[in-house]
Amino acid sequence: MSRAMQELLEEKGVITAEQVRARMEQYDHDFPYRGARVIAHAWVDASFKEKLIRDGKAACAEFGLDIEADKLIAVENTPQVHNVVVCTLCSCYPRALLGMPPTWYKSENYRRRVVREPRAVLKEFGTLIPDEVTVRVHDSNADMRYVVVPMRPAGTEGWSEEQLAAIITRDALVGVTVPKPVLRGA
Amino acid sequence: MDGKFKVGQPVRVKASYPPGHRRTPFYIRGKRGEIERICGAFPNPEELAYGFDGEPKRVLYRVRFPQKHVWPDYRGPERDLIEMEIYEHWLEPA
Amino acid sequence: MSHDHKLPSDMGGEEGGAIDTADHGMKFWEKQANALRNTLTRGKVLRLDELRRAAEDLGSRYYELEYFQRTTEALRTVLLEKNFFSEEELKAKMAEVRRRYE
Repeated sequence: MSRAMQELLEEKGVITAEQVRARMEQYDHDFPYRGARVIAHAWVDASFKEKLIRDGKAACAEFGLDIEADKLIAVENTPQVHNVVVCTLCSCYPRALLGMPPTWYKSENYRRRVVREPRAVLKEFGTLIPDEVTVRVHDSNADMRYVVVPMRPAGTEGWSEEQLAAIITRDALVGVTVPKPVLRGA
Repeated sequence: MDGKFKVGQPVRVKASYPPGHRRTPFYIRGKRGEIERICGAFPNPEELAYGFDGEPKRVLYRVRFPQKHVWPDYRGPERDLIEMEIYEHWLEPA
Repeated sequence: MSHDHKLPSDMGGEEGGAIDTADHGMKFWEKQANALRNTLTRGKVLRLDELRRAAEDLGSRYYELEYFQRTTEALRTVLLEKNFFSEEELKAKMAEVRRRYE
């Protein structure tokens, strides 16, 4: 049905096939790689991190990225606080920064449970947060979009931004896991 | 834009259940929290959803709630928090 | 106080089962549906708020449909509302597309 709707809209001059194709390309080849690069840069540049936390959209723009949402709120993990993001009402997600949300983020069980029992949900992802650390859940329910700024793991001293980006997973930017200081390959 | 509420101010989400498109989840209605930040003013999504322009803009806040205020049976530590965006017309002073 | 109006999408805090923590990615048609949706919202042809409302109004079908089926149904509802095409035109085009791929 969506193929049919697209063709009708093309015939009526509302959109072009090229526009849709270009967006598909961006979602596949561009958006998914941006988040890790932004966070890696925040890890090496303290003043950029501070800008990111103050105004995520402006900081990304400075980094050369248009995140397309009205606003981006970057929430920072610290030794005292662990952040995790959900959209209980639908699946709001910073798509132009992270690409498409994973299937679990859009799933009913995640949307139902993470607001009420975040620690149990994090455990299902293999993430254990000690009781002394606050778990802060963000329900992305209106016009803001969120990205978690994970803590830079020990053992990554002297790494390049590229190496750092390689360990910053999408799941860590939603807050269900934390980055591990393990480089794959050479 | 100046809103009715200030950062840190205690607020309660209205325990109101109108039909239609709302961006205030059921689970937070009637709950007490505090203003975490003022997000700015945006066209009202409750109007946009039906094809109207959502003007005049409404002030949007982020509100922070202790989880223990939201779920009577919350099993995690008392320090745990939940935060979300609530429009000004859904809030009253607490 | 009535909770009759609780929409199917408003599920935060409800009981739920184990989460399938793997990311199953997207099929080609889902990527196309997503790109169509996004092209239309970016082009201000329709608003995300309208699509959300249309999905919420699916009633019991909300839980019967998968995520991108809901997206597609919502697109259909809003595009019909705004008279971009008629039901008849859509049915005819769907039949044509089916014939092409058979």
